[in-house]
Amino acid sequence: MPALAHTTRAIARSWTAHQLPVARASCAALQTRSLSEVSSTSSFDSPFKGDGKSTKIPSFAAYRNKAGGETGPRVFSYFMVGTMGALASLGAKATVQDFLVNMAASADVLAQAKVEVDLAAIPEGKNVIIKWRGKPVFIRHRTESEIKEAEDTKWESLRDPQPDSDRRQKPEWLVMVGVCTHLGCVPIGEAGDFGGWFCPCHGSHYDISGRIRKGPAPLNLEVPAYDFPEEGTVVIG
Amino acid sequence: MAISSTLYNIFLRRNTTMLATVFVSAFGLQLAFDSGSEKIWNTINKGRQWKDIKQRYMEKPEEE
Repeated sequence: MPALAHTTRAIARSWTAHQLPVARASCAALQTRSLSEVSSTSSFDSPFKGDGKSTKIPSFAAYRNKAGGETGPRVFSYFMVGTMGALASLGAKATVQDFLVNMAASADVLAQAKVEVDLAAIPEGKNVIIKWRGKPVFIRHRTESEIKEAEDTKWESLRDPQPDSDRRQKPEWLVMVGVCTHLGCVPIGEAGDFGGWFCPCHGSHYDISGRIRKGPAPLNLEVPAYDFPEEGTVVIG
Repeated sequence: MAISSTLYNIFLRRNTTMLATVFVSAFGLQLAFDSGSEKIWNTINKGRQWKDIKQRYMEKPEEE
């Protein structure tokens, strides 16, 4: 079997090696004949016969770069590429921005997100509870002794150590979210062992700075974002 | 010729500067497009927008 395969392969090789030049020659002969002889002898009129000089190359001189250098065309093509990139990035940015703006809070929600409180109506040593984003917010006008007490407390050893200066912007105004950090009850003001707030649900005691002192709550009362745009008002949110 | 070659050398030769140029020009294009379309909108709707007729309604409560 292998012997047979070898012989057939050899025959095939020798056949192509010898036959190919012949085939090429005959082909060339046919091609050279086709223009001159065939047109005169056969009845078929070739549409490509021409006058023998069929390869007439048109002149592209009108389209040639006349300036000589390659800088001009190069700047132009890079400019077009850059313009395309700029327009594409504009479109991409606009698309992304539309989606993000769609997710942002609408104007009516933003209008309700801030609460302005008149501080002149709160006498010293009194609490005010207002509603902000569905939660109670405590505003306490602290007295001098309360400020002193809050600042003198040894806060380093507390459960959630935080100095009083981190919990208020002005010493006399204490603004906190009135939700117990344990399970979300609303603490009672001016109650408890530390003169601050007391949560009736599980007995957490907060001091006059809203820091957890006793009971199950893990953290101090939360301080919301607020500022005093002018004297006598506070804007929460 | 000289201008185009200096332009090429400044903005297009390095890929980073080309990218920066593209993004900066995109920013400028956006500003131009926004303000231009806003201007066209305002000229078409002149006298029909709230900011045009606002003073007709906002003054009165103060006078009374």
